[in-house]
Amino acid sequence: MIKSDSVLDAKGLACPMPIVKTKKAINGLESGDVLEIQATDKGSTADLKAWAKSTGHQYLGTVEEGTVLKHYLRKSSEEETREKKHPNVMKNEELQQKIDANQDIVVLDVREAAEYAFSHIPNAKSVPLGDLDEYLNEFDKEAEIYVVCRTGNRSDLAAQQLTAAGFKQVINIVPGMSEWTGPTGKSVY
Amino acid sequence: MTNNKVAIIASNGGLFDAYKVFNIATAAAATDQEVAIFFTFEGLNLIHKEANQALAMPEGKEHFAEGFAKANVPSIPELLAMAQEMDVKFIGCQMTMDVMGLEKEDFVDGIEVGGAVTFLEFAKTADVTLTF
Repeated sequence: MIKSDSVLDAKGLACPMPIVKTKKAINGLESGDVLEIQATDKGSTADLKAWAKSTGHQYLGTVEEGTVLKHYLRKSSEEETREKKHPNVMKNEELQQKIDANQDIVVLDVREAAEYAFSHIPNAKSVPLGDLDEYLNEFDKEAEIYVVCRTGNRSDLAAQQLTAAGFKQVINIVPGMSEWTGPTGKSVY
Repeated sequence: MTNNKVAIIASNGGLFDAYKVFNIATAAAATDQEVAIFFTFEGLNLIHKEANQALAMPEGKEHFAEGFAKANVPSIPELLAMAQEMDVKFIGCQMTMDVMGLEKEDFVDGIEVGGAVTFLEFAKTADVTLTF
């Protein structure tokens, strides 16, 4: 079960209806929201990928449940252009080296749960930015905490929040999962 | 955003032609493209108030009716309404209408009537131009 902000039932509909309905559904969502599209049209996977690419929304992945395809999309946001403020940053490659060196480190993935489900750093913990407050007591305030998202912006916000909450060594990973080349894990199949 | 325009010429009037035209048009409109369709000669059937309710299958292909029903494909009037709702522009060819003795009132609401240049003006800057 993958968490989404909204579910669109496009089951039984033929092309181009799943796309047309998706377009309408996404218009009613907030930036960053995750939409689950349930479809039975076998062409819908390729169509939604192409649609997301051309409209700038983020295609997360598809889960097959019997004859139903569950597609996940995240509505595009303005985050890409925001200036980063947290001073302590580290590149993807350096984090990979730390992981390879088997260092016992904490990696927080602050993307939406659905983004995390389809691809994440194997030892990363899913802590969506919106739920960060609930997790503050789970981690050691003195430990090094590496925060990652897709492009380094949500993780920048998370790093600022963590620092404000008293965490001493918070490092924002840039650019993040969009250009991650190391091993990844999935929690859906 | 870059120029995103799709220009379509619909010049045939059968049921299959209508699906080709309206499926591409609605899919393009749903993908944030600006779409215009120029209906000319038999293509005018596709937006004619009565004719578009009962477009013919190609001869010998009537058995596909079952497949259309089974695949839950929307009807042509439904697709047409959807296209209009997504601001697809319909241009009826004036010259063909004159030849066939048709008036703007014979067609679905919201169409423009124009000549070849009206379409060419739109198509001039379109990335994709399709003819059906």
